Amino acid sequence: MNIHSYEKIWLVVAILLIVGFISTVTYGATAVGIDMVDDEGGTVNASALDEDPRFSEPRVEQVGDNEYEAYVIAQQYIFNPDPIRVPANSTVTFFITSPDVIHGFEIVGTNANTMVIPGQVAKITVNFNDPGEYGIVCHEYCGSGHHTMEGSVVVQPEDEFEPGGDE
Amino acid sequence: MQDGRDMEEEQTVRELSHDEFDPNGTLALIAVYFVILLAMWVFMYFVEFLGNELTVVG
Ligand SMILES: [Cu+2]
Repeated sequence: MNIHSYEKIWLVVAILLIVGFISTVTYGATAVGIDMVDDEGGTVNASALDEDPRFSEPRVEQVGDNEYEAYVIAQQYIFNPDPIRVPANSTVTFFITSPDVIHGFEIVGTNANTMVIPGQVAKITVNFNDPGEYGIVCHEYCGSGHHTMEGSVVVQPEDEFEPGGDE
Repeated sequence: MQDGRDMEEEQTVRELSHDEFDPNGTLALIAVYFVILLAMWVFMYFVEFLGNELTVVG
């Protein structure tokens, strides 16, 4: 087969590009440690969240030295707790679920972002470094009040933080 | 403007073999597209995505 030299260049460069894309994503998943949201969080009875040990009381709980777990309910049209208070320099795992319809959970302007599905627990782990405040928005249309559905994450200086969540 | 007769007289046929046909303009255009693609890839993944702190790590 007679392949033109320009065509050969293109074939090689195109294959390199694909290899490059794949290695970029591999680099992100291994060296940087970026994870995908999956079904790891398990399921829950959406119509009986008040009887569920994890969600009967939405809260932030300390589970390790600098490790916390936040149990969050997204419902029409609020996030509970609101604000979600976490300390700076911590690793926080969010467990989020919904008692009614599909919602979204996005810490605005960041990559921390998941769907919130009734009956399903979304689990995302995030590292918080500096104190500050982030907004949370629902990015899945969930009803007439969808556009007002927002919350916040307050990252408090470590010495000001008290576990327990809501005040 | 040329009339039809002039054009007929000036027509020459040049045979190009497969390897003599070098579309340099196309090559240059695709090279430029490719460089843009590479730049956008680096910007999107390494700057916009990895630099957009609070990333899901578990
Ligand atoms: Cu919503």
